[in-house]
Amino acid sequence: MDWSEILRFARGPLFQIALLVFVAGMVFRLIRILLLGWSKDRVPNKGSKFGGVVKTYLKGLIILPFIPWVKNTFSRNPIVYLAGFVFHLGLFAVIFLGTAHMLVWKSLLGFGWATLPTPIIDWLAAVTIIAIIALAINRIVNPVLRKISGVPEWLNLIFVLIPFITGYMMYHHLWFEYNLLFSLHMFSVDWLLVWIPMSRLSHFMFYFFSRTIHGAQFGKRAVTP
Amino acid sequence: MQTQNTINTLIEETGGWVASQLEACTRCGMCAEACHFYQATGNPEYSPVWKIELLRRAYEQNFTIGGKIKKLLGIEKEVTEQDLESWSKTVYEACTVCNKCSMVCPMGIDLGPIIHNVRTGLQAAGMVPKDLADAVQKQVDEGSPLGVTDDVFEDRIEWIEDDWEVDIPMDVKGADTLVVFTSIEIMKFPNNLAAIATIMNKAGENWTLSSAGREVVNFGYFEGNPERTKLFLNRVIDAAKDLGVKRVMVTECGHAYDAFRWTAHNMVDVPKDLEFTHIVAVLDEFIKAGRIKMKPGAFDKDGTVTFHDACKIQRRGGHIQEPRDILNILAPQSFKELTPNKEQSLCCGGGGGVIAIKEADENRFAAFGLKVDQLKKVGAKTVAMACSNCRLQFTEGVQHYDLDVKVTGLSQMVFDALED
Repeated sequence: MDWSEILRFARGPLFQIALLVFVAGMVFRLIRILLLGWSKDRVPNKGSKFGGVVKTYLKGLIILPFIPWVKNTFSRNPIVYLAGFVFHLGLFAVIFLGTAHMLVWKSLLGFGWATLPTPIIDWLAAVTIIAIIALAINRIVNPVLRKISGVPEWLNLIFVLIPFITGYMMYHHLWFEYNLLFSLHMFSVDWLLVWIPMSRLSHFMFYFFSRTIHGAQFGKRAVTP
Repeated sequence: MQTQNTINTLIEETGGWVASQLEACTRCGMCAEACHFYQATGNPEYSPVWKIELLRRAYEQNFTIGGKIKKLLGIEKEVTEQDLESWSKTVYEACTVCNKCSMVCPMGIDLGPIIHNVRTGLQAAGMVPKDLADAVQKQVDEGSPLGVTDDVFEDRIEWIEDDWEVDIPMDVKGADTLVVFTSIEIMKFPNNLAAIATIMNKAGENWTLSSAGREVVNFGYFEGNPERTKLFLNRVIDAAKDLGVKRVMVTECGHAYDAFRWTAHNMVDVPKDLEFTHIVAVLDEFIKAGRIKMKPGAFDKDGTVTFHDACKIQRRGGHIQEPRDILNILAPQSFKELTPNKEQSLCCGGGGGVIAIKEADENRFAAFGLKVDQLKKVGAKTVAMACSNCRLQFTEGVQHYDLDVKVTGLSQMVFDALED
């Protein structure tokens, strides 16, 4: 098979289409939510809603990843905190601070930025893969997760894992010809871009709704969120 | 059809505020770890994320493409009457709407209010536990879920005035503060009325009770029925308007404060200048203004004193510092905090209507086991709180666990330490 042709398609037109579907899908979901009606809050504030919002975002960005502040819950399910943190750290590092990916952003945005040395990114990717596997095991073992998890939850894990595995294999030239691995990587990324708006992987967009509402509701009552 | 009523109500309730949060859930399951009912029983159906599953299903099946397809293809089930029964048990008997779950959700989803919405959906189909439904009806008919009728109220107030030798002004037009008690205090902790009345008098407050607006608890709020919630809110608000008071003071109750201070304005017409406050804030106000004086260290001689934060007054109400300022005067050496505390505190297990439902007894005593551990860990001999529902739960709980701990109210302690 002519993998260089397939690759050209997967990282070219197919990637463009996938990006389009991704953006259109996320916009669709955003608008659908915005159009649902937002009742006005007439209850007088005790503290500052804005202050609460600032605090909760800072906590989420700066403190939460490092110190689980509700110690009682951390000790009861440390895997979700630890593996979840490692996974997200690795994800952001690979996507934004990996040179290969930064160049993709550069081709889309017109500008690039400094990146981390690829061996570090490679190590982070490996750690992220381990985190994904840990989360998957937790999802089988934990009684609450068994109850609330359905096929979509498993698909989410798989569809996020494949780009990492194929990317890792690419970098290490593992077992197959490079263009085949690259094509698989691109297909898995293209699919992921289409899958995200259709799944809970879109949570990163809704994070800004729930986190802001949370901060505002706690700030309103003058309680630390 | 029953289930259709629930679905319709759930959908009406789902504006952008709720839907955007439902969309944010990643099924991580952390909320369960914060839930005292899950902690105490290990039952995964008690996880907050599962409690709102009904609402999630109604929302997705009616608003999202994926949800509609899943319903069409039979991948996801329609809500059945058995589902309603099962969920009714869970959200009324294994949830106190304490909202600790929202604090651990990595997305910050405010699960407590969303669980309240599920209750609203269930009660639209009449799926409310019988004990709670009966108590609500009592409040509709007699003015109180505990049977404090007009006559009983009059008699009890007269008796308290006599026995404790305290003046309790009634229906005073032009008073500044309308004080509204809970029927729990009236029936089970009458010393609380005497204590609070004495404090108000000593502080020189221009206050009054109202015979029409005499019940601060709101069982319609527990039930999740908007009409009855409003009915009970309005009984007090109308009395406040009628008497021309500046503010309404909720006495030692948690959910009543949540209903009046944090919900009323979005449900009924509240006069623009009418304030809602809580006894714990008023005590603090009086003490800091020097209007009442307490004997410093009055409670420093009987072992460790600790404080139980009531979910609706502290975590959901914001009155976190006031009890501590008071206890630091009353027991500067002996006051020790429970772990966790303040906005992260553990619910007593009796709120949200749970204590009113006999079938929920096993759950609430199991949850109280966590409080017992907290009390033992800090070596408490006395535990104070500012909510009478908590106080009732604690009183029954320490008996159930045979724990040698004195359960008291904060107002009672202030009264006990009053200096002439």
